[in-house]
Amino acid sequence: MANVNELMNGWGFGKQTAIGTANTAATIWRHTNLNTKPWAKVPVNEDDRAEIGKGHEFPTALFKSHYNMPTYEISKYASSEILAWGMAFSLGNVVVTGTGPYTYVIVPALGATNPTGLELPYFSFVQQIRPGGSAVLDEILVGCAIKGWKLSIKNSPGRASAMFSCECVATGQYTTPSGITLPAVATPHEFNAGMITALTVNGINYLTGGSGKQFVSMDASWENNFRPGFFPGSGTQDGYQIQGRFEWADRAFAIQFVVRVQSGSTEYSNLINQTTGTATITFTRDAQNSFTMTVQKMGFNVVELSNTDGIATLQITGVQLYDPTNGLLTVSVTTPQAGICQ
Amino acid sequence: METVFLESPQGDEIKEVEATAVKLSPYLASGWHQVPAPAKHETVVLAAKEDK
Repeated sequence: MANVNELMNGWGFGKQTAIGTANTAATIWRHTNLNTKPWAKVPVNEDDRAEIGKGHEFPTALFKSHYNMPTYEISKYASSEILAWGMAFSLGNVVVTGTGPYTYVIVPALGATNPTGLELPYFSFVQQIRPGGSAVLDEILVGCAIKGWKLSIKNSPGRASAMFSCECVATGQYTTPSGITLPAVATPHEFNAGMITALTVNGINYLTGGSGKQFVSMDASWENNFRPGFFPGSGTQDGYQIQGRFEWADRAFAIQFVVRVQSGSTEYSNLINQTTGTATITFTRDAQNSFTMTVQKMGFNVVELSNTDGIATLQITGVQLYDPTNGLLTVSVTTPQAGICQ
Repeated sequence: METVFLESPQGDEIKEVEATAVKLSPYLASGWHQVPAPAKHETVVLAAKEDK
């Protein structure tokens, strides 16, 4: 027996060399996680109830089917480290410069030009409870990928004002015991809403000037919509079929935000006039830790008058357009952590 | 000025590009990706100078 707060999570900040090749300990970090559940492994059995010839309708035997791995959420307060990691593994085209701090410039990979086609980088996930000779849990899941993420910013005090969560998937391949000695838990350089130094959407600056007091909250999200990865030769674990790839399908990038209504609010006119422009969100903690997300061309799909905690607000749904020159989205993260997605 | 080396999607060209998000975005968005510095430096086109 063990309390779940003994659970230790570690995962690859560096990418695996292949989907079936686990990260080494040198490229695995250990982080806390606001998701308190372990990553479940779900082997599925099937039976022969649908087959005739048995003389009755009841099942008589079990057959190993596949590992049906549920998605797993890594939920963190936003930090330079976790934002660099999440963006790099979910978007795919990464450039790194510097010798400490390191700056990662990241854009969504294109299927036509990505060296690994429709596949993103893979990482390993380690979960342990009392590792050692009498471990309650000690395993490494191999071939994990980020299915999607959500970045939330809101008017509130403290770390919860800037949150980042990732939905991860796994093939079903694992090794137990993991053979990994996790390092000490990392101390990420976290951001909060007070560290936002740029917040401009479609020509409206929500930090200074006439719109400086309008902002209430923003949710940005990415979804890779992976296709199922079962195919001939995809592999087995314990006699159960596992997935051998995660290929993105139609990816989706969504932004919704809420601002207070004021005299002369230009959000409506931006919608009606179909005005488009960039959207820029920047966190700056210090010279070593910053994050900028630039949406290259954004318009408004819906601007709806509403009520947020008693204040008249506009709930805005953005449309992120693909710019022929700069693409959809560029993320730049500066962090002390080396080797992310390398 | 910090620079990085990018390879074209076709793999037939390497450029040295200023390592800023503004300069890199057009390349990355069209499928260029980072590669180690090539051994023969003279084969590289300095994109940052081209831009000027």
